[in-house]
Amino acid sequence: MNNSLLTQDKRTKQRNAAEARFKAYGLVAILVALAMLVWLLVSILSAGSPAFRQSFLTFPVLIEESIADKSGTRDPAVLTKVTTLGYAKILAHSLEAEIAAKGVDLGAMKPKEIGQMISEESSATLRDMVMANPGLIGTTIPFTAIASGRIDGYFKGRVTMESAALDKNTSPEQLILADNLRAAGILKSEFNPGFVTMPDASDKRPEAAGLGIAIIGSLMMMMVVLLLSLPIGVAASVYLEEFAPKNRWTDLIEVNIANLAAVPSIVYGILGLSIFINFAGLPQSAPIVGGLVLTLMTLPRIIIPTRAALKAVPPSIRDAALGVGASKLQTVFHHVLPLAMPGILTGMIIGLAQALGETAPLLLIGMVAFVRDFPGGLFDPASALPVQVYTWTTRGDPGFVERASGAIIVLLVVLIVMNAAAIYLRRKFERRW
Amino acid sequence: MKDMNMESRVLIQSNKIEARKVQVYYGTNHAIKDVDVDILDKTVTAFIGPSGCGKSTFLRCLNRMNDTIPSCRVEGLITIEGEDINDPRVDPVQLRAKVGMVFQKPNPFPKSIYDNVAYGPKIHGLTRNKAELDDVVESCLRKAALWNEVKDRLQAPGTGLSGGQQQRLCIARAIATSPEVLLMDEPCSALDPIATAQVEELIDDLRSQFSVVIVTHSMQQAARVSQRTAFFHLGNVVEYGETTQIFTNPKDPRTESYITGRIG
Repeated sequence: MNNSLLTQDKRTKQRNAAEARFKAYGLVAILVALAMLVWLLVSILSAGSPAFRQSFLTFPVLIEESIADKSGTRDPAVLTKVTTLGYAKILAHSLEAEIAAKGVDLGAMKPKEIGQMISEESSATLRDMVMANPGLIGTTIPFTAIASGRIDGYFKGRVTMESAALDKNTSPEQLILADNLRAAGILKSEFNPGFVTMPDASDKRPEAAGLGIAIIGSLMMMMVVLLLSLPIGVAASVYLEEFAPKNRWTDLIEVNIANLAAVPSIVYGILGLSIFINFAGLPQSAPIVGGLVLTLMTLPRIIIPTRAALKAVPPSIRDAALGVGASKLQTVFHHVLPLAMPGILTGMIIGLAQALGETAPLLLIGMVAFVRDFPGGLFDPASALPVQVYTWTTRGDPGFVERASGAIIVLLVVLIVMNAAAIYLRRKFERRW
Repeated sequence: MKDMNMESRVLIQSNKIEARKVQVYYGTNHAIKDVDVDILDKTVTAFIGPSGCGKSTFLRCLNRMNDTIPSCRVEGLITIEGEDINDPRVDPVQLRAKVGMVFQKPNPFPKSIYDNVAYGPKIHGLTRNKAELDDVVESCLRKAALWNEVKDRLQAPGTGLSGGQQQRLCIARAIATSPEVLLMDEPCSALDPIATAQVEELIDDLRSQFSVVIVTHSMQQAARVSQRTAFFHLGNVVEYGETTQIFTNPKDPRTESYITGRIG
C-alpha cells in the first residue's frame, strides 16, 4: 500500500486514463463534425459561387426592319408574328458586324455559327423590348446579351477544348473566338444579379435560369407559416400547459402531438393535397397551399419547444402573481409568457428553418411546376427554393450544377439571416429579463 | 386591572378568519384533519410544528392557493368576516387581493423594483393615475422598511437585490393591494439573522394594520413575533392559544415535547 500523495495509485491512474480517453473521444467527434462542415461549405461555395458571375456580350444592335417588320406598318398584330428565331438572327448579324468593326480575328469559324454564342434568352429579351416599343425598329441600340451556357462554362472551367469538340452545341472554334472577344472587350464576365431576380429558364438555357420566383415563393410561404403557426402554436401550448385539466384526454393529445412531430414530411404533402387542393379546391403550386401544408408540419414542432419553455418558468413566479391576486390569464400574459419568450422564439425559428428547407411535401402539391411568370399573390403559381434546387439537379445540362449549388448558397444565406434575427430577438427579450 | 385589559382587548379583537373542521386531501393522502382555528384581527398568529405537519397546507387554504394543485381537495368551512371563501360565488382573484401572501423563498418578479410593487395596484385598478401609484409604491416600500435602501434605484431589477431585501420587496408587493390578512409561509427561512430581525420587526409593525398569519420552523421566532400560536402535529392542531401560554405552560404533552425539542 502506497500512501504518498506524490505518486498516483493504480485506481487513480485508471480513472484518470478513462477521463482522458473520454475527452479524446469528444474532441475527435467535434473535429470530425467541424471538418465535415468545412468540407460542405467549401464544396458548396466553390461549386456555387460561379452562379453569381456570368459572361455578357455587349455590342450595338441594329434592329433590322427587314426581319422585325417586313410590312413596315408597325402593326402590333403583324409584329407578334416574328418569333424569337428572327430576333436571334438580328443579334447574330449585329455581333458579326461588331466583330468585323473591332477587327477581331474570326479564326476558323464560319460566320453563321456566331449566333450560337448568344443565349436564346437574349433574343426573347430583345423581342420583348421591341414589342413594348415598336419605334426601336430600324434604329441601333446598345445591348447586353447573355453568352450561351457553353461559352460561359468555358470561362468557368466547365467546358474545355476537348469537350467542345464532342459537343454539338459548341465547337473549339467558338471558344477561341470567345477568347478573342474577351480580349477585344466585347465579352465580359460580370456579377450576375439575374441569378436572384430572374425566373427559372428551360432545360436548354442554364445561363438564363434565376431564383427570383423561388425566393418570392419561399418568402410568401414563410410569411403564411409564421402568421399561422406562431399564434396557433403558442395558444395551443399555453392552453395545454396552463389551463387544460390533466386527464386522459390531454394525455392523449400530448402523445399525438409528440407523434405528429415525428411524422415524415411527405405525409403532410399527401394530407395537404387531399384537403387543400382536392377538397377545398385551392390552386396547385400556390404559395398559400404550400404555406398551409408547412404550417401543419411546423405546428407540432413549435408546440413541443414552446411547452418546454413554459414548463421551465419557475412555479414561484406563478405563485407570486396568483398571490397578489392576478387572474390565471394575467399570470400567463404578464409573467409566464415573457419569461418563456426566448425559448419560444428559438423553437419558432428552428421550426421555420425546417419549413424553409422542406421539399417533399411541396412536390406533392405541385410546387415543382415550371413557373415563368412572377406570382402576383398567394394564390398564383410559384416555386420554392429547395424545390428549385431539386429541379435543377435533375436537369441534364451541366450548367445547372453550378446553378443548384448557387441556389443552396442563397438558401443558406436566408437561413443565416433568419437565425441572426432569432438571436437578436432572443437577446432583446432576455435583456428585459 | 390587568384582567380588565385582557377583557377589553378580546372584545376589540374580533375573529377575522374562522376555520371549522377543515380537511385537506392530496389524492388519497389526508393531510389536514379536523382543524378548527380562529384568526384574530390585528394580531400575529404563528403556526408551528414539525416538517410535513400541514401548517403550510393549511395556510394555503386561507387564500385558496391550493386551487392550483389539481390533486388537492379542501373540505370544511373557512370564513372571512363570516363569508365562506369556498363558496362557488367567490372568485379566488378577489379573495387573494384581500388575503395577501408572502412565500418561503423570495420570489420577486423579474421586473423593476417599482413594477414589482405597482403590479398588484395596477391589475386591481386601485389607483387612478401615476402620481397615486407612485405614492402607493413609496408608502408600501416604507412600510416594508426598504424605501431608504432602494429609493434611488426604483427602476433596477428586483431580482438584483439581496435575499433579505428581496423578501421585504415581496412583503411590500403583498401589502400594496391593501389586504386585510397577510399570510407568510416561513418568510425568514432563506434569510440571514440580520435580515430575519428586520423582517420580524416589520411583522410587528404590520400588526397594527393587518392580521398576520406566519408559518415558522423557529420556535424562537414564533415566541418573538406572535401573540397567538397554533401547534400542528401530523395534520391536527394539537394546541392553540396565547403564545406565552403555549411556550410557558403547554397543556398537551406533545406540545411540551416539541417546544422542548424532543419531537420534531
